Amino acid sequence: MSSTPAAPATPETSPETVPDEDRLEVRLARIWAALLDLDPDRVPTDVSFLEMGGDSVLSVRLSAQVRAATSVQLALADVRVEITLDELAALVRRRSSDAPSARDLPAQITPRADATAEFSLLPLQQGYFVGQQDGWELSYESAHYYLDYGLIGVDGDDAPEALADAVARLAEHQPTLRARITPDGRQRLLPLDAPGAVPPVQVLDLRDREPQDVAKELGDLRQAMSSRGPDPVNASALDVRLTLLPGGEGRLHLGMSLLVFDGWSAGAMNRDLLAFLADWNAVLPALEIDFGDYVSALDGLQTSEAWLADRDWWWARLDTLPQPPALPLIADPHDVAPVTMGNREHRWSDERWSAVRAQCSERGVTPSTAMLTAFSVVLARWSGHHRLLLNSLQLNRLPLHPDVHRIVGAFAATMFLPVDLTPGSTFAELATGAQTRSGEYIAHNLISGVEVGRELARRRGTRRPVGPIVFQSVLGVDAAMGGRTSTDAGPLGETNVTDYSHQLRTPQVALELRCFEIGDQVVTVFSLVDELFEADQVTRAFDEFIAIVDALAEPAGWSAIPELPEDSEPSNPADGELRLGLLPEAASATHTGPLEDDLEMTVAEVFEDLLEVPVLDRGADFFALGGDSLLAVRAVTRLARALGTTVPVRDFLADPTVAGVALMVRAAR
Amino acid sequence: MKPLIGVLGASGEVGRVAADRIAAAGLGRLRVGGRDRAKAEKVAQELPLAADAPPVEVQAVDLDDDEALARFCEGCAVVVNCAGPSYRVLDRVARAAWAAGADHVDVGGELVARDALASSADGKRIAIFSAGVMPGLSGLLPRLLAVRPLRRMETYVGGAARFTSISAVDALLTRGDRFGTAQASWVDGAIRPNVLGPLRNVVLPGFPQPMQALPFLTTEAQELPAREVRAYNVFASDRIPAALTQAWAELPVGASAEELRPYAPDVVSAADSDVDEYGAFYVLLVSARPEPGGPPGPGRVVMRATDSYALSGVVMAAAARAVLEGTLVPGSHLAAEALDPFAVAEILRADPLVHELTVV
Repeated sequence: MSSTPAAPATPETSPETVPDEDRLEVRLARIWAALLDLDPDRVPTDVSFLEMGGDSVLSVRLSAQVRAATSVQLALADVRVEITLDELAALVRRRSSDAPSARDLPAQITPRADATAEFSLLPLQQGYFVGQQDGWELSYESAHYYLDYGLIGVDGDDAPEALADAVARLAEHQPTLRARITPDGRQRLLPLDAPGAVPPVQVLDLRDREPQDVAKELGDLRQAMSSRGPDPVNASALDVRLTLLPGGEGRLHLGMSLLVFDGWSAGAMNRDLLAFLADWNAVLPALEIDFGDYVSALDGLQTSEAWLADRDWWWARLDTLPQPPALPLIADPHDVAPVTMGNREHRWSDERWSAVRAQCSERGVTPSTAMLTAFSVVLARWSGHHRLLLNSLQLNRLPLHPDVHRIVGAFAATMFLPVDLTPGSTFAELATGAQTRSGEYIAHNLISGVEVGRELARRRGTRRPVGPIVFQSVLGVDAAMGGRTSTDAGPLGETNVTDYSHQLRTPQVALELRCFEIGDQVVTVFSLVDELFEADQVTRAFDEFIAIVDALAEPAGWSAIPELPEDSEPSNPADGELRLGLLPEAASATHTGPLEDDLEMTVAEVFEDLLEVPVLDRGADFFALGGDSLLAVRAVTRLARALGTTVPVRDFLADPTVAGVALMVRAAR
Repeated sequence: MKPLIGVLGASGEVGRVAADRIAAAGLGRLRVGGRDRAKAEKVAQELPLAADAPPVEVQAVDLDDDEALARFCEGCAVVVNCAGPSYRVLDRVARAAWAAGADHVDVGGELVARDALASSADGKRIAIFSAGVMPGLSGLLPRLLAVRPLRRMETYVGGAARFTSISAVDALLTRGDRFGTAQASWVDGAIRPNVLGPLRNVVLPGFPQPMQALPFLTTEAQELPAREVRAYNVFASDRIPAALTQAWAELPVGASAEELRPYAPDVVSAADSDVDEYGAFYVLLVSARPEPGGPPGPGRVVMRATDSYALSGVVMAAAARAVLEGTLVPGSHLAAEALDPFAVAEILRADPLVHELTVV
């Protein structure tokens, strides 16, 4: 709040050629200058009205004068004293955009003036970032996706240089490859010539080795890349390696940080990489915007009516959402320290899947919904209740610009999806119901599942993950991106994508179903924390799932009435029995009263600095005060600086009150 | 013979309670005055007098009538003025009291009246201005925490209460640097402007619901004994601040009561809507942080009541008692600076209008 007005407004690069004095910012600056008695040419665009001397009275006059100058009517609640000139201009633009549709996206995307400037993390990125600090149970030191696939006909002498060159061109084309996350949870895109901007390529040459050596080396590399992902805080978010194998074969290994790349990006990036590999001179259509432009455009979203309407929609449903599937567990997630997630995998051939797809389209159900329904049925049987809360991963890129779907980045968001499987229904009825419900929920996706989950956890009084069972399907993405990816990899030969190996690690997930396409095949995977489940139960559930989906190739699979539990809600666990969603909560001490000592005051001041609200009680809760997990990581950093003691993030989150954190500091000393 | 205490504005809410508490405490003989004699009579009849107490005198007094005012003050040991509006009364009654040789206690006045009267001080008479809840208790109760050096002090005062049109005009008049500075804090003896923003839906100890707190550094807050002071006016909703702001946006600083009066109905109806929605409540919260390494001590005052008007009567009676006890220094003062916070707190705690007064 104390920064002083400094630099004069620098006009942003603007595609339209508007005379300077007619630009909205300039006209608004004149109004500010008159109200605040400033030089109109020196009104900073990023300092609040308040800091420049404005008050609520002047803000009422401000909206009146904006109305007179632009014919845009602003609600008084919109023109808060904390507003900056930039924010005001964005607000006026949103209000003045004509042709309002039913769902006008209240965001405008333009290239940022400084392409290397920091920008914030999207909600799911924040979740991954905090997970990476070991913030919650079921966390890993990196959230990442590992993939390797086979290459045939590799020119072993030219391949390394060709790959390095292609990656360099890819990093030029897609600035997200140059992304770094800052230690306090923001992000930026490095300039192309910055050291380390281009992801390094490592080559492992096994061409002259014996078969058993090759197998061992490959196994070791996979294990290493699976259990340690790229760390975009300190280095590139993309780890590229090439192994050269005997007989002109090879493998391409990719480690991708989920903090920087989502599932869609893995496909888009692979597609671009192959294009550069196949042709030394390939020039892809230039991207007009980057991920930072997209995220910055979303910044104003949270004050928009559309966002608030979506939030109200969700808030009104939270208290009636079902519980997550009460799956029996063999360990408390709090007590396990997984390194990698286990996989159960099945592939459908092109013919079989074509039959399933035909049956789906006959019934107006997407293949993804069919998968979701089959997954839900299995979970209901496994958990013993038929109303379930699932978490789904959505690749919801808001269509703010034609290039948005070609950009790589961490666009993905989670969305909670309640499932209600009425016993006695046919599979077709269940699937149609699921399709309708997904559509209804996706229509309110301006608020992300991360934000909804925070509120849900608050209302349920839990500190455990509220959506530990995840559904993710990218079926149809290949088609959406313009058909199948080419297999020509230039000096790297031909790709053999059906010969692949992969590994996913996402925090706060107990079990995740992933559905994707590889070449002609459709693949489904259960990724799970093995330490939590009885292996036989997982195998049985997975087999049931495959059988249900497989049967969908015939009409009989759709008219079948799946056996479902009668109970809609989970029953209470017996003594000592561990069930997902019904785990005991850590008892939190209740603190109350004024701040008791210097240490509590220091903690309170760190809270106040970050949250900009007074902290008057030792029982004041960081999250109730408006904090989120990302800010919690920043609080830990600030406390370490102020007190010389680092409180583990997970401890901070376990009792995020002033007194609780002060206790942790004492314990850590 | 017991001293004569004159209570002006006795038929109003503040005056009625002040007279009641003075009578109940047996501080002296009572004379009550009001514009409407019949109403004043009714108040006099309902006073909780001791069996052997002399009868209560009743006078009709128009504050604009010099003679009536002089007649009312004649013979009083202390004149207790509960009548408003403050912007019109100023030090008018105080001068009449001093002219009659009486000490004076006034529910309003603020710096304007105190400073105006100060030049007439004769080294004997006492005048205490702003002896209500706010200003008054809002400046006095924070001093309960001044038992050790304080680095920071915050006050949050308000709730949901109905406004009369007179009090609405008074509220509309609280603008300009004789009253305070919006969005400012007080740091090391100077105003630091444009540093505090409004707090929306803020959870505050003692308040029954999330509140809207608007930073307004009153002149009273600028005298509080801490290195840094933040003062907030607290409302149940945005309605009252919006009504005040709208009026201020349309009129220049220094607008007169007559110019502001047309806006009073909006303020009154905003306040009514708040009470209709949330019920009436009034909370005064003070929070203090000591200098680092300081000795242990209390860090919070919470006072809860239903409304502030009646409570102002209790404070007025307490101020009258302090004047009569002879413990105050002669001169023109503000209640917050002149009264003993601990003595007043004890009186408040015993009063049924105060639901809670805690110092922890």
